[in-house]
Amino acid sequence: MKIAISATGDNWQDFTDTRFGRAKGFFIIDTDTAETSYIDNASNLEAAHGAGTSTSQALISKGVEIVITETVGPKAGEVLKSGGVKVFEGAGKVTLKEAYENYKKGLLKEQEL
Amino acid sequence: MKEIVIMSGKGGTGKTTITAAIGALAKEKAVVADCDVDAANLHLLFSPKNTEAHEFVSGKTAVINYDKCTDCGVCRQKCRFDAIDFINGKYVIDEVACEGCSVCHYLCPEKAIDMRDNTAGKWFISDSRFGSRFVHAKLGIGQENSGKLVGKVKAVAKEIAEKEKIPFIIVDGPPGIGCPVISAFSGATHILIVTEASESGFHDLKRLVELVEYFKVTASCIINKCDLNNEASGRIEKFCNNHNINVINKIKYQKVFYETLQQGKTLVESDDNNIKEKIEEIWNYLKNME
Repeated sequence: MKIAISATGDNWQDFTDTRFGRAKGFFIIDTDTAETSYIDNASNLEAAHGAGTSTSQALISKGVEIVITETVGPKAGEVLKSGGVKVFEGAGKVTLKEAYENYKKGLLKEQEL
Repeated sequence: MKEIVIMSGKGGTGKTTITAAIGALAKEKAVVADCDVDAANLHLLFSPKNTEAHEFVSGKTAVINYDKCTDCGVCRQKCRFDAIDFINGKYVIDEVACEGCSVCHYLCPEKAIDMRDNTAGKWFISDSRFGSRFVHAKLGIGQENSGKLVGKVKAVAKEIAEKEKIPFIIVDGPPGIGCPVISAFSGATHILIVTEASESGFHDLKRLVELVEYFKVTASCIINKCDLNNEASGRIEKFCNNHNINVINKIKYQKVFYETLQQGKTLVESDDNNIKEKIEEIWNYLKNME
């Protein structure tokens, strides 16, 4: 399963990005292989409109099933929901490692989409 | 660091006038960000100095390279915005109608259409005459405010606040509930709603409160011009109470609002002690909020 965290960098020690649609990038953890990767989100960050929905689409097409972030807006939420993606909110501004640990410990709440 | 975003839903409720007065009281304790860039006017009251200007690039416009164009007309057929005219035997882009969707760029068989970045306006970092740092923007004619520009102005304000250890960011938010407003909610620690006692004020307030509840941010409310319609004011207050929104102040319709504006002053610079006290109450509430 692939988990995406809105991120400001591509390393476990980098910080989360508190924005979703206009996040700098996404740190992807593949829990099956334990591999990590990074998606640059610059093209959506730069979008005049519809940043949240196009970011959601990009994550769905990468096969992401879980998103960890601060919060997602109503339209992005609709897209993620239709793609079967679950959102865990309230990640705050912490390192990616901490955000992932907090998620695993069940400290982040699932956002109702 | 706290980020207080001031929103109204409806335009013309007195949001910017009240934001300016709060900003004037906050002085160097706040970075003030004007995200109401469709009608950016906070700078009129803040007399910015030491301004540093940057270009704001947003969206794209199609440009035809006539060295390559063979007048096949595919672009005109495929453009769903009717942004390509055929004038004097050549295809011409109507820059106002072009939405920058790039379909002509992709479908042109001669690869004769490029997408050029639009300079949609400028954004600035200044010092206000109250000692606060001030981030603002100005859009070009016919350009619309976007989540991207709001995101940019807020990100710059946040960077300054972090670097210079300034405890508050005060954001003059855009009206409505669309893309720029969603962007303004992002990262906000508190929403201050400035509404007015009118049917449309109440209607737009309800839409804004839906967003507040969606994003689970705390919010408080000021009912401006509360004596315009006492009955509506009462309904607004009840609605806010039912939605856990603290009505922190009610302000009567009064001349001091436009008299100070005409003089280029904020409310707290008037001789009216009553309004000064009210603004101080509001700032104290925001300052001491958990």
